[in-house]
Amino acid sequence: MPSKTYKASETVDFVIVGSGASGGIMARELARAGNSVVVMEQGPRMAAHEFEHDELKYRQLSGITNNPATNPQTFRSDASKKAERVSGRNPLTYARVVGGSSAHFNANFWRLHEIDFIEGSRWGPIAGANLVDWPITYAELEPYYTKVEWEVGVSGLAGASPFDPWRSKPYPMPPLPVKSSGVLFERGARKLGLHPFPAPLAINSTFYKDRPPCIQCGLCGGFACEVMAKSSSVWTVIPEAEATGRCEVRSESYVFRIGMNKAGRATGVYYYDSDRKEQFQNARAVVVCANGAETPKLLLNSATSGFEQGLANSSGVVGRNLMFNKGGGAMARFEHPLNEYKGANVTRIMHDFYDSDPKRGFYGGGGFDARSGGPLTWGQRVPEGTPTWGPKYKEYLESYTYWMNCSGHGTSLPQETNRVDIDPELKDAWGVPAIRVTYKDHPDDVKHAKWQVERAVEIMDAAGAVQIDPSEVGEASGGVHLLGTCRMGNDPATSVIDKYHRTHDVKNLFLCDGSSMVTSGRGQPTQTIEALAFRAADHIAKFARANEI
Amino acid sequence: MDQSPPSRRQFLAAVGNLASAGWITLNWPQIAAAAEHSGHGGHGAHDAAPTTLSTLSPAEAAEVDAIVNQIVPGGATPGAREARVLYFIDNALGSFFAAQLPAFRQGLAEFGRGYAARFGADKPFSAAPDAQQQLWLQQVEKTPFFTAVRRLTVLGLIALPKYGGNHDNLGWKLIGVEDNHYWEPPFGYYDKDYPGFEPYPGTKPYTA
Repeated sequence: MPSKTYKASETVDFVIVGSGASGGIMARELARAGNSVVVMEQGPRMAAHEFEHDELKYRQLSGITNNPATNPQTFRSDASKKAERVSGRNPLTYARVVGGSSAHFNANFWRLHEIDFIEGSRWGPIAGANLVDWPITYAELEPYYTKVEWEVGVSGLAGASPFDPWRSKPYPMPPLPVKSSGVLFERGARKLGLHPFPAPLAINSTFYKDRPPCIQCGLCGGFACEVMAKSSSVWTVIPEAEATGRCEVRSESYVFRIGMNKAGRATGVYYYDSDRKEQFQNARAVVVCANGAETPKLLLNSATSGFEQGLANSSGVVGRNLMFNKGGGAMARFEHPLNEYKGANVTRIMHDFYDSDPKRGFYGGGGFDARSGGPLTWGQRVPEGTPTWGPKYKEYLESYTYWMNCSGHGTSLPQETNRVDIDPELKDAWGVPAIRVTYKDHPDDVKHAKWQVERAVEIMDAAGAVQIDPSEVGEASGGVHLLGTCRMGNDPATSVIDKYHRTHDVKNLFLCDGSSMVTSGRGQPTQTIEALAFRAADHIAKFARANEI
Repeated sequence: MDQSPPSRRQFLAAVGNLASAGWITLNWPQIAAAAEHSGHGGHGAHDAAPTTLSTLSPAEAAEVDAIVNQIVPGGATPGAREARVLYFIDNALGSFFAAQLPAFRQGLAEFGRGYAARFGADKPFSAAPDAQQQLWLQQVEKTPFFTAVRRLTVLGLIALPKYGGNHDNLGWKLIGVEDNHYWEPPFGYYDKDYPGFEPYPGTKPYTA
């Protein structure tokens, strides 16, 4: 059945900007609640068979990500410097395709723990940081974490980790088969008295919801899944939204401004269609799910009379408190081949060091996983002491299948000075003012990442590695977890949205994506973003029914 | 009845696009086997690789090929030259890395001039004996030009053959990667005899 289409002149109930992890869920839930919905997506819609096992295209050439040639950004480490374009990929990278970054994620689905929501009061003020409590608790979000696991599809083993937060249901699917990196990680960590456990992944391990199990092709992170085993929005909630007959997904439609009337209400969105012609879609309400980079950019580019600092920005907080997930780890070589290019990227993780521990002398916590990397990316760099060319380099290349990664994923403290705003000069290929990123790691983030490197080295040593290559902890130059830039909170003076994801300043404008997060968690934010989307959609649908939008 | 093996597209459509879970369950072994034997399930079964040079001049190409051959040399096993990395570089600089071509050309010219000056040579770098080539590369290995050639060499060695390098999958063979579309456990040496996940004291893992 062809999906519903709307004319731009029609006033739909909701226009949703972005079709990724949160936008897809928002579309399904609002459409199932009886609302007419148009989803705007910057990128194209690709069929499953169009995705290839092409590491050059997807990990080196912006195959489905925001391309620096057409969607450029600038970067600086602090506001005293002029931001410049950087070589290589954009500082803030995301997938520009129907499904958004859920199309190319690694699919690590970690719930936040109870502590994540209350660290502001647990730790008190930290110099240079803006660490506060969330306006919601883990208990309020738990039903929606469960909903993600069952509605979207997550495999894992409930109760396996002594550090897991409580849960109301197990995972709907068992974990994926372990690979050699998982076995070695588990071996090393258990020797040290730690508690590794099967990784929860948004990847089917069995037939689930008419999608097949993982074929273990080995290409998850950076790639879209051509057999639809990965639980990306484009294969899960978006077809279900369209099946309601009330939702249109409009691809290659780049929203660049939110329309406002004199009464201070959003009227719809201005966008460029696939022919780069300007259009306007009327809507009763606007929900922006465009990610932690594009959401603040859209609000700031929508400045208008009465909203001179940008929409929903009376607090001045839009774009601020940008967080990634700082971390450190190690690469390790073993005596026999692991063949990490086979199988889902991650099969074992560990949360023993999830909580921040005052005894360490700095704030920071995180998790570890055992993971693989694609050979193209792996072959670019060499361990210290290995030549970069010649016979010895060739020998190193021949050792590819003997290596694995032990990766730490950790906290980044929110800082007001770390932000997304608009570059005063640079514009993208559509003429839209481009993103300027200002970012510098908090000293505690760096200390924690170095501490993680030491733990990773210990685990790999205990696992019997014959060579260990500790990662370098450098200054952040960008990220893919784009968090915190329109944080939720009860106080309109210090936050952008309330606990129901409604902007404090514009009654019929809602935001839900990584930008909503108040703290960074410990890496792997997508399940939280999706749980927030299910929860927000519940409330927004109620507001719509009560004529409160 | 003989059936032609399914194309990669047909394989993917069967497992992902068109069929119900029940249909896939019934037919999975046949689908998987057909894909495996057809060769269509592999990384780069379609899209012909370029077989001629279209960007670099013959003289430029000879120099680049000589550098590439020192970065990942041949010998007992094939190296970057045998994997036709030169064709990848030529293709890349004429298409997706075209913006880098002017700087690359300038870097190559400086590389050649520097070599001639250092060794008083009247023949190009590519005509020099191995030892002399290696000596010069040691002196320029930190330059942006050499770094660029090295990056392109690694990409060309391992990227899909359709881009021009990794001829006959020689790059994948070098690093030990088999060309297949899907895998089943055991994947490597260490997961062969994994006894299963042992719960920790005090925990009660449970499943749906």
